[in-house]
Amino acid sequence: MTHQSFMEGRTPYEIEVDYAVVGSGAGGSAAAIELARGGAKVAIIEAGPWRDPKDYPYSAYGGLRDTMDDWGSLVTMGRAFWPVIQAKLVGGTTVVNSAIAVRTPGDVFRRWESRYGLRHDPKMEEAVWAAQDRIERELFVSKASDAALGGSNRLALLGDARANMGGDRMDRYVRDCAGTGQCLQGCRANRKQSTNMNYIPEVIRLGGFVLSCAPAEKIVVKRGLAQAVVGRFVHPVTQKKGAPYRVSVKKEVFLAASVTKTPLLLRASGIKPRALGSRFMAHPGTGIFGFYEDIVDTNIGATQGWASVKHRLSHGIKLETLSIPLELAASRFSGGGRNLMERLREYRHCAMWIQACWAEAQGSIGVGPGGKPAVRYTVTRGDLERFRIGMRLVAEMHFAAGAKSIYTGIHGFPWQIGPDEIHLLDEAPLDPRAYIAVMSHLFGGAVMGDEPKHSVCDGKGRVHQVPNIVVADAAVMPSNIGVNPQHTIMGLATYFAQEALARA
Amino acid sequence: MDSIIRSAMLDFYPSTEHLPGLDQTDLDGFLKRFKKEAPPLMWAGVVAGALAYETSPILTIGKPARASKLSAEDRDRHADLIGSTNIYHVRQLIFVLKMMAGMAWGQAPEVRRALGLEPYPEDPGTWRTQ
Repeated sequence: MTHQSFMEGRTPYEIEVDYAVVGSGAGGSAAAIELARGGAKVAIIEAGPWRDPKDYPYSAYGGLRDTMDDWGSLVTMGRAFWPVIQAKLVGGTTVVNSAIAVRTPGDVFRRWESRYGLRHDPKMEEAVWAAQDRIERELFVSKASDAALGGSNRLALLGDARANMGGDRMDRYVRDCAGTGQCLQGCRANRKQSTNMNYIPEVIRLGGFVLSCAPAEKIVVKRGLAQAVVGRFVHPVTQKKGAPYRVSVKKEVFLAASVTKTPLLLRASGIKPRALGSRFMAHPGTGIFGFYEDIVDTNIGATQGWASVKHRLSHGIKLETLSIPLELAASRFSGGGRNLMERLREYRHCAMWIQACWAEAQGSIGVGPGGKPAVRYTVTRGDLERFRIGMRLVAEMHFAAGAKSIYTGIHGFPWQIGPDEIHLLDEAPLDPRAYIAVMSHLFGGAVMGDEPKHSVCDGKGRVHQVPNIVVADAAVMPSNIGVNPQHTIMGLATYFAQEALARA
Repeated sequence: MDSIIRSAMLDFYPSTEHLPGLDQTDLDGFLKRFKKEAPPLMWAGVVAGALAYETSPILTIGKPARASKLSAEDRDRHADLIGSTNIYHVRQLIFVLKMMAGMAWGQAPEVRRALGLEPYPEDPGTWRTQ
C-alpha cells in the first residue's frame, strides 16, 4: 500500500525512504515530484485527509469544515484580528485557492539580497524560472475563456479598460475552466490542477508513499542530522489519535508544512535558532463590492479571473476579482435584521473586487495555547495608506464598469456610497480595526539568509543547524513578494530538490 | 445557551416580504451539526458572540435589557446596529456569530431558491481511506 490514511491501533507504521516531505501543498508536492523523478524514494506526510473532487464540499460551511486548518479560526494577534487562511488536506492550499500562477518578478531576488542579506545567486533565479516554465506546461497554465469568465470578471475587464488599470485575465493552473465558481471549495469539475490531482499521484506511481491524516509531531535529530519524522495519525472527523508512525530518512527531510506550522515543527524538534518565527509577512487584502443594475451572479465563473499588478511597484498594491458565495456575503454585508435582509436582496447584482497590499509590516510566529500557532502581526500606517490607494482604485474601476454604488465595509462608512463620494476613501481610517481584511498570502518564519544569526536556512533552504533539513515552503522566503506566491513556492521548492539530488 | 444563540441568529436574518429568514430554515439542525462538528474554539466564539449580542442593547438602543426580552422592533434595531459598535472586541464577536448565522441562512435551500440560486447538494464530508 502506498497511500496510508488514518490508521487505528498502537502498532507503529514504519517506513524508510530517501526523503521525507512534510506537507503536500505547493512547496511539498513540487519538491516531492522533483525528488521522485530524480529516482529517489519519497514519502509525503500530510496532516489532513486526501479528498478527491467527488469529496469536495459545495457550501462555505463544508469548506471550513473539510478543507481548512481548524476551520480557518486562526487570526492575527495584534491591533486587529485578521483571519490567517491555510488549508489542511492532501494538496494543501492548492486545492482551495484560485490557482493563480504568477512568475517570480526579478526584483524579488534583488530585494532579498539588498534588504534581507541573501547573497544573489543567479543559479536560483534561473532554476526557479526554468521550473516555472515546466510547471506551466504540466499544469496547463492558461487564462479563463470567455465562457468561463462569469459576470464579475467580465465587468472587471470592462472597468479596467475604461479606467486604465493595466490588468488582464489571470494565468491559472486550470485546464479548460468550467467556470463553476467553486475554486475555493475545491474544483468538483476537476479542471483545476491542484497538486492532489497530478504531482502527488505521480509520486506514488514512481514508488513513493503518501501518509494522510498524519500530522508530524517532530523531526528526530541525532548528531546534528535528521533521522526520521514521527507523529500519530489523527482521525479527520473525531480528531481521535490513531497509530504512531515513523518515517526514517536515509538522506534529507523537506519541510513544507506551511508558514505557521513549519517554524513550530522545527521548534518541537529542538531546533530553535534566534531567527525562528521572525519576519512573518503577508499580503493583507480587503474587498469592495460594486452594485450593478443588471444581474452579475458573482458566484458563477472563474473565482479569480482578472488581476492587475500595474500598481505593484509604484504603490505596493495588486488588484483582483474574487467571487464570494451568498453565505459569506450574508455576514460581509453590514447591519442586521430587516435592513440586512433588504441589502441581501441585491446579492445577485454585486461583484466583489479586492486590493491586496504588499505590506511592509513584519510579525512573528510563536506557540500559542494548545501548541497551536500564534501569529503576532499589525500592519503599519504606511500599509494602511496603501489600503486607501488600493480601495480607491478598486472603487474607480467599479464605477468605470457601471456600478451604481459601492460598499466598502469600512467601519464608520455608510452602507453604500456613490461615485460623487469616492473621495471619502482618501480619508479612510488609518486604523486596522476599521477594516475587514484577510491574510491570504503568508511568508517567513524560517527565512533563508547568509548569516545564521539572522536567518534559519541557507540559500538552498538547508537549516543552518541541521543541514539535512530543507525548508521548502513560503516560510523560507525572506520577504513577501507583491504577487501571488504559489508559483514562486513551487519554483523554489523545485530548485531546493534539484540541489538535494545533486548533493546525494 | 442554545436558545440564546438561536434567538440572536434569528434576529440577524428575519423573514421579510421578499426573503425567507432563518426561521424558515432548519436552523436547529444546523446548530446541532455545528455544535457537534466545530472545534471548541469556533463554538466558543459563537457562544461569546451570542452573549455579547444578548447583553448589549444598552450600547445600541440605550435599553438596559437582555436582547431576547426586547420587543420585535427593538430587536431589529439592535441587530442592525450592534455590528457597527465602536467597541472592536464586541464587533468581532458579533462578526463570528453573524458569520455562522449567515452560513446557516445562505446555504438553506429555501433561501437559495428565493434568490434564484441553485440549492447546494449535501456536502459529502468524505475522503480517501485507502
